[in-house]
Amino acid sequence: MGLISGMLMGIVFGIALMAGWQHMMRYRSNKRIAKAVDIKSLSSLNRDDLKKICGENFPEWISFPVFEQVKWLNKQLSKLWPFVADAAEAIIKDSVEPLLEEYRPPGITSMKFSKLSLGTVAPKIEGIRVQSLKKGQITMDIDLRWGGDPSIILAIEAALVASIPIQLKDLKVFTVVRAIFQLAEEIPCISAVVVALLAEPKPRIDYTLKAIGGSLTAIPGLSDMIDVSFDTFFSLVKLYAMLFGLTVFLYKDTVTSIITDMLQWPHRIVVPIGGIPVDTSELELKPQGKIKITVLRANNLKNKELIGKSDPYAVVYIRPLFKVKTKVIENNLNPVWNQTFELIAEDKETQSLIIEVFDQDVGQDERLGIAKLPLIELEAGNSKEIELRLLPSLDMLKIKDKKDRGTLTIQVFYRQFNEEEQLAALEEEKRILEERKKLKEAGVIGSTMDALDGAASLVGSGVGMVGTGIGAGVGVVGSGLGAFGSGLSKAGKFMGRTITGQSNASKRSGSSTPVNSVQENGGAKPL
Amino acid sequence: MGFFSTILGFCGFGVGISTGLVIGYYLFIYFQPCDVKNPVIRPLAEQDSQSLQRLLHEIPLWVKNPDYDRIDWLNKFLEVMWPFLDKAICKTAKNIANPIIAEQIPKYKIESVEFEELTLGSLPPTFQGMKVFVTEEKELIMEPTLKWAGNPNVTLGIKAFGLKATVQVVDLQIFAQPRITLKPLVPSFPCFAKIVVSLMEKPHVDFGLNVVGADLMSIPGLYRFVQELIKDQVANMYLWPKTLEVEILDPTKAMKRPVGILHVKVLRAMKLRKKDLLGASDPYVKLKITESKAPSKKTAVKHKNLNPEWNEEFSIVVKDPESRALELIVYDWEQVGKHDKMGTNVVPLKELTPDEPKVMTLDLLKNLNQNDAQDDKFRGQLVLELTYKPFKEEDMSKDLDNPLQKAPEETPPGGGVLVVVVHEAQDVEGKHHNNPYVRIIFKGEERKTKQVKKNRDPRWEEEFTFMLEEPPLKEKLHVEVLSTSTRIGLLHPKETLGYVNISLADVVNNKRINEKYHLIDSKNGKIQIELQWRTSS
Repeated sequence: MGLISGMLMGIVFGIALMAGWQHMMRYRSNKRIAKAVDIKSLSSLNRDDLKKICGENFPEWISFPVFEQVKWLNKQLSKLWPFVADAAEAIIKDSVEPLLEEYRPPGITSMKFSKLSLGTVAPKIEGIRVQSLKKGQITMDIDLRWGGDPSIILAIEAALVASIPIQLKDLKVFTVVRAIFQLAEEIPCISAVVVALLAEPKPRIDYTLKAIGGSLTAIPGLSDMIDVSFDTFFSLVKLYAMLFGLTVFLYKDTVTSIITDMLQWPHRIVVPIGGIPVDTSELELKPQGKIKITVLRANNLKNKELIGKSDPYAVVYIRPLFKVKTKVIENNLNPVWNQTFELIAEDKETQSLIIEVFDQDVGQDERLGIAKLPLIELEAGNSKEIELRLLPSLDMLKIKDKKDRGTLTIQVFYRQFNEEEQLAALEEEKRILEERKKLKEAGVIGSTMDALDGAASLVGSGVGMVGTGIGAGVGVVGSGLGAFGSGLSKAGKFMGRTITGQSNASKRSGSSTPVNSVQENGGAKPL
Repeated sequence: MGFFSTILGFCGFGVGISTGLVIGYYLFIYFQPCDVKNPVIRPLAEQDSQSLQRLLHEIPLWVKNPDYDRIDWLNKFLEVMWPFLDKAICKTAKNIANPIIAEQIPKYKIESVEFEELTLGSLPPTFQGMKVFVTEEKELIMEPTLKWAGNPNVTLGIKAFGLKATVQVVDLQIFAQPRITLKPLVPSFPCFAKIVVSLMEKPHVDFGLNVVGADLMSIPGLYRFVQELIKDQVANMYLWPKTLEVEILDPTKAMKRPVGILHVKVLRAMKLRKKDLLGASDPYVKLKITESKAPSKKTAVKHKNLNPEWNEEFSIVVKDPESRALELIVYDWEQVGKHDKMGTNVVPLKELTPDEPKVMTLDLLKNLNQNDAQDDKFRGQLVLELTYKPFKEEDMSKDLDNPLQKAPEETPPGGGVLVVVVHEAQDVEGKHHNNPYVRIIFKGEERKTKQVKKNRDPRWEEEFTFMLEEPPLKEKLHVEVLSTSTRIGLLHPKETLGYVNISLADVVNNKRINEKYHLIDSKNGKIQIELQWRTSS
């Protein structure tokens, strides 16, 4: 009896013990999981959550901007900056100087940094936003502001003349950098980084470029040359031409356009990381579709000419590298062009079609208006006629002028590429760029930027440059132009940065009278 | 009889309790699933006030304290990256652990140990705030608050003597507040030489340990014991001021410290070319190390002499003897206008044998550019004696570890060396020009830094030493920021941007002080001065 009751009691006790343990286990496990959940939900709070938790006592120092502030990072950055600057200076010097040496134009004996200082002002990160727009990718937007005071002096030594230092200073960069991290299942877990500048807000990159002892802008005033013998004169012209050839790369508008075309979203740079062979072709920008645009007509354009009416023509582009132009219709404020072009779109979501209308003029062509059509508004496979209002500028924030600038009517047709066409389009694009490069090397076009300008504007503006003050010399220099080769072609590009159509070639070459060339120069001021 | 039945009863209880435990184990534990589920996370807005109350415990520091910064963007980054990170880490862990296990198990007569399950779970670590500290030293200090309450599942299957048992770690939670210090800062990427990590508080660790399905950690009392044990172990190793140091760069190289001294004796020059119209040239020699920022040294001017004898000695500090060279330029001194270059040459430092004097006779060249056509004109010769003395290894490593160096041997007993390092200044503002340099006056001895042009926040980083017979207990150091005009003009040639007098008694007591001082006679100006008192003992 005792044995059985003992056993029973034992069994009951044993089971109770186990039940108690199990209860304990479950309790502790639940507690841990609850804590894990709490901590997870506290890792990304928003304003409403916090309001709910804190109730009345909402802390005033907390705000929730779209771009999260990173004061701590800025503090560290400004402390670290002198060291970063030192390290970067050494690296830039070591890596860029051999490059310069490689691309050194003939006649220049050496190009070296005589001073390279990134300044004392550290870049500031105004905010960071992290999103996950696509599976397996992290999109990080960094609002970067650098109002720096770097000073970079490039000393150029030419064979005949002493060193000409060119200084780059007051570089300012205000932009939102978008970095997309492609994730991978191998340490370091990031297989590639895509870097681009966000188009909205528009990136701002400012800098001052000057030749020490006088701004580069002043050099076209070669009026003192008259007294110099022709021999020296030619070598000087040659030198300046080469100098300009160099500065073209640094020339503001060009640089900005190049940066925009290379970097502004959706264009990007893809950097593979960590030695993992990955297929980055997914990340690269590929042509998505083709846009057939017919520029029909414009109405009620503004008259910019003193005598007669404007001579309007339109420039159409998606990427500034691939611009197309209509013919010029002279003396007409309601021109009808009816010209059709084909453009390639890479990213329908963010890209826009830009149409600018210019008044063709002797000097710098004046812009009559600009219109923008975001591609996202287009439907694939549908032809559409759209009337756009012309605006004085795309950035309407600062412009007070609300006057009507007329309208522009276009017809657009968007077609999505299939895979084969996509590849073909990519090849075609490469081929065009390659061709332009060759032409450029041959000295025919000033730069890849304005392929359409062609040789005509080159001659005109090239003469314009030399023409200042040396009326008599113009013919000689004009005929000697070919000899200057690519260097001067760049110079010509640099000087006469006007956008002109092919049709006005005759008018252009006729401009080699001194009066006109002075105007040319006036037009070429924006440095 | 009663006694007997009691005995039997106890025996029965003994048998019963084992049976009961077994039954209970199978009933409540063995058949319960022990896989880890992903917890359901409900948005905060839907939760009731009770669970909100519970949340208050864990509220992030950035909500409570304004000096903590929110880094939710990093949390988000980690969250998206976590699944990938999880897989990568687990794969690496397996690859590392498997060979070790294979090596160890034969000793313990265990047949096999293998990971049945290894995942870090779906919940990433989170940062609940970041605080940084700014000091005058060359270091970055940051204190993130790390909280990882994850749901990992690490299951080990162990086979021995034909039986199989599983050990499972679940619900690992680690809360810690590490202090990460990056120091010293150096001018080459990644810009710091060491990462120093230490914990500011004992970390909180919690987890469940299931052995054959039963959680040992929920036996009352055991959990606390284990937790304390782990905390103490970790604390012993890393609790501040104990640290974990990870070296990133070799500090000697990264700092670009001087590695030797070059003694140059400029002996004489021969057959220099005549540059002046009237009479002979007035030559002098300028010496400098290429690409060095230090000011160049000059010999005296020998007037009207084309075969001058200087016999002057200079010592130049060398930082990188492999790539640098000594550059010598002979100039013709002029009373008015620019001094003419009479010739130049370089001596690459790697051509010199250490500690061995070498007399060299150099032909003077027009310039140093090899590409340029040299004219073969003879410009004269320069005779030098060069000795390169590298520092000894021991000396260098010693003073790296300890910022307080000892005074050199020749210091008089009782005395020492006062070292003044002028680091930088902020907001120094001149009325007419802003080209600041610093003048230090100590016991009538005056030293100057070089001038920084057009800068309100100049950095000098220059070091001055004063050898003293006795500790400067009653002395003061006069530090003055001055600016001179770069233009030649009689108006405002020089102005004072501010000064400060520093009493040196504190330095003697503290051995080292690194402070920012507010400048007197200046609006907002501050100057950072480091003072050291080195004694031989």
